[in-house]
Amino acid sequence: MGDTVLELVDVTKRFGAVAAVAGASGAVHGGELVTFLGPSGCGKTTLLRLVGGFLEADGGSILLEGKPLHGVPPHRRDTAMVFQNYALFPHLSVADNVAYGLKARRLPRGEITARVEELLKTVQLEGFGERRPHQLSGGQQQRVALARALSIQPKVLLLDEPLSNLDAALRVAMRAEIRRLQTALHLTVILVTHDQEEAISMSDRIAIMRHGRFEQVGSPLDVYESPATEFVATFIGRVNLIPGRLSPGPEPSHATFDTWFGTLTLRAPASPLGGSSNSSEVRAVIRPERVLLALPREPLPRNTFRGEVAESTYTGQVVRYTVLLQGKPLRVDAWDPVRVGRFPEGSAVAVQFPEALHLLPAEG
Amino acid sequence: MSDQTLTVATTTPWASARSRLAGLGAEARAAARDPAFLAVGILLTGLVLVFTVLPIGTVLIRSLQPKEGMFTWENFLEFFSRRAYYRALINSLILSTASMVLVTTTGFVMAYLCTRGPRVLRGPLTFISLLPFVAPPFAFSVALIILGGRRGFVTQLLGLNVSIYGWPGVLLVQVVSFLPIAFLLIENVLVSLDPSLEDAADDLGARPERILRTVTIPLAWPGTLKAALLVFILAIADFGNPMIIGGGMSLLATDAYSLAVGEQNLRMASVLSVFLVIPSLFLFVIHRYLLRETRVTTITGNLASSQSRRSSPIILIPMLAVAAVVGLVILALFGVIFVGAFTEAIGVRNRFTLAHFVSQFGLQYLWTSIKMALSAGLLAAVGGIVLAYILERKRIPGRGAVEFLALLGLSVPGTVLGLGYLLAFHNPPLALTGTLLIMVLNTGFRELPAAMEAGMSKLRQLDVALEEASADLGVGPVGTFLKVVIPNIGSAFMAGLIYAFMTGMITVSAIAFLVSPGANLASIYILQLAEMGYLGEGCAVSVMLILIVFICVVGLKWIARRTGFDIIRGR
Ligand SMILES: Nc1ncnc2c1ncn2[C@@H]1O[C@H](COP(=O)(O)OP(=O)(O)O)[C@@H](O)[C@H]1O
Ligand SMILES: [Mg+2]
Repeated sequence: MGDTVLELVDVTKRFGAVAAVAGASGAVHGGELVTFLGPSGCGKTTLLRLVGGFLEADGGSILLEGKPLHGVPPHRRDTAMVFQNYALFPHLSVADNVAYGLKARRLPRGEITARVEELLKTVQLEGFGERRPHQLSGGQQQRVALARALSIQPKVLLLDEPLSNLDAALRVAMRAEIRRLQTALHLTVILVTHDQEEAISMSDRIAIMRHGRFEQVGSPLDVYESPATEFVATFIGRVNLIPGRLSPGPEPSHATFDTWFGTLTLRAPASPLGGSSNSSEVRAVIRPERVLLALPREPLPRNTFRGEVAESTYTGQVVRYTVLLQGKPLRVDAWDPVRVGRFPEGSAVAVQFPEALHLLPAEG
Repeated sequence: MSDQTLTVATTTPWASARSRLAGLGAEARAAARDPAFLAVGILLTGLVLVFTVLPIGTVLIRSLQPKEGMFTWENFLEFFSRRAYYRALINSLILSTASMVLVTTTGFVMAYLCTRGPRVLRGPLTFISLLPFVAPPFAFSVALIILGGRRGFVTQLLGLNVSIYGWPGVLLVQVVSFLPIAFLLIENVLVSLDPSLEDAADDLGARPERILRTVTIPLAWPGTLKAALLVFILAIADFGNPMIIGGGMSLLATDAYSLAVGEQNLRMASVLSVFLVIPSLFLFVIHRYLLRETRVTTITGNLASSQSRRSSPIILIPMLAVAAVVGLVILALFGVIFVGAFTEAIGVRNRFTLAHFVSQFGLQYLWTSIKMALSAGLLAAVGGIVLAYILERKRIPGRGAVEFLALLGLSVPGTVLGLGYLLAFHNPPLALTGTLLIMVLNTGFRELPAAMEAGMSKLRQLDVALEEASADLGVGPVGTFLKVVIPNIGSAFMAGLIYAFMTGMITVSAIAFLVSPGANLASIYILQLAEMGYLGEGCAVSVMLILIVFICVVGLKWIARRTGFDIIRGR
């Protein structure tokens, strides 16, 4: 990971009464792909447009390689944006689209031609230079937009929901393609999306946004396994939030967790107890696929409880169960139903929890 | 099954021609199943032929007849041998070109400012750009004389010795008069131009003037060209302004009028008219059939993320300077019309008076105008909407041709249609000259295309399934038209009616040939007053017309807001 390329310090932007961005702070390092992820309306696009210079922040500052960008118009910023609708110039050929920024920089003609050719090759569009944008498929248009943005060798490449206009199969292919380009060319990229799968599969780090702020910034593994807040936990993936009381266990390396369906023994978690010896109200973040189902067998092993299958949905990859524990539902995903066998609705099952759980403070 | 395969396999040009013929037959058969509409369609086509095509044809024929019964080019040779004649053609072409360039540039500047300029100024600038729309165009000429004429207010104030009559005056007034139409067309295309394209150019390092040159203007070009062509057509057809402020300069429209009405030289008036028709029709065909779509379509549509753009000061400051000058001129001219209407003699006796409003003839002619414009409006709206329905929904063969002929009323300069009516309806069987009816017919058929276009555009948005459902439920074609179609395109009918009425109130070019002392109109009366130097009364009559047009525009806006149908913007 390189040095800090872009730094956001308490950036704010209001539209009338709406604070679209409300104090976002963070840094993007050289050669990394950072994703702004969040629900629609949380301010992702606004923040990206602030970085691109299409909007001017009301407060805070944005620094590119340490220099504040305040008052610098887009055409003098070393950032390049791939627009959500690509914004390809319909009156120019593919090659002229890609050459646009180079011509604006008054590069010699021969150099422009060579660079355009090379860029089209990079995005695997050799031979398409003479076409008009409307003669290309959605995926090809996307590549032209990428090549055009790369042409000016930006310090930061900005992508606003770049895949949202593509169909599902192409979207998956383009994820890999963008990632390949990013690593090969060592690009610093900010990507905006509301698609968690996209974010998890493409990013070095994810910044989860909510109400114009970063709720958590971390690697995909971090935000999935150790969400900092309930919002992050529920926004990324499916989750069970199980309230209970955490107390020091009989052995110092373990703790006990009392819930409505029984007591779990956990390996001593760092947070949110913070080493205190008192017990406290917490919620455990339990992903459905971390819970194991088996036929009930006496005696029940450690951290295993009796339950009853209330509902099951076969999705091909996984069977999604709703299991009742003492009458309250728990989501459980079971992989590989062929080997494990599928539990019919109404049947009794043993539900086993892992020893390591991520904990959040109790509500309120 | 095998039959089908065979048909597909044998689709040769011959077979496709045969199937197209069969298609025509099917269209004709479908029409024949609808006798009521077939009859109405034939009747309307007949009326268009008599009241639009025949007068124009008469002018063309007359231009080829040095004497009754002879057909030669002699009149045209005479036209080109006498400077007094061909100078009108040259002047008209120069004037219209200059006007086109000036108006289109101004329109672009105003539209650019209203879509990319400072937010606080967008409203006021739109208002000013559209303001001239509510005034009879020649009212500005009257105002300009008051300001800058020989004994004009500004002329005397500054002790100027330049004459506003002639080229400068006509050009200035045309810029003001035609600004709204150019503005609307260009604004339309600039609004639909996705701002993220300019953002992208900005992002790639293009400076503001480069963005304007390489992205904004090329993409706005189709709409701008449309506006330019339309302005040329309007400028070459303009009659009222050159009459008042042309200072006797030689132009096709005004010379055709003086030749016909002053010298009774209908032969040479017809020749001049031919030279009016040729460029107008030529440009009209390009405008309508070759420049089809003006909207810039974005490649992939998700505009949610694009936001309205603000251009940079380097572009905006010079544009704002232009806008300030244009805005001041428009406001000054408007101001003068209103002040002049209530002042005894502006600059001479600056005393408040209402006398200009209560003159005997003004109110009388205004009343005639209202009667005439209302009848013509009804004729245009009823005829236009019914014709629109038949052309759009009933698959009658030759409907493209009928549409084109009906549109002639809009595309051919009024002067030509005025002269045409004078020639065609002077003698029996249709001896109509001197009556109010001839003015109603003339104005009605000139305004019919606008109502027809309104109806057609509204019908295109109306799902045919509604009519099919009605037929399916057992209602006949006429019943379906009255119960399903009319309620749904009522907004187009009302808009067409109001628009035709409004235009009828301020029309002069064709009507000038047809008025008589017994049947005079307010708009023509302003012309006559200006000629006699009764500028105060001219202003007063103008103010009354402005108020009427203003009320109409408010009505049209109301329809647009209620139903989303805006006839002025044509969408
Ligand atoms: N130009 C604007 N004017 C007014 N409100 C805006 C504008 N742009 C964005 N907003 C508001 O700011 C908030 C954040 O918008 P946006 O950044 O587009 O969200 P996202 O990209 O995360 O969906 C939304 O509530 C939106 O309605
Ligand atoms: Mg967005």
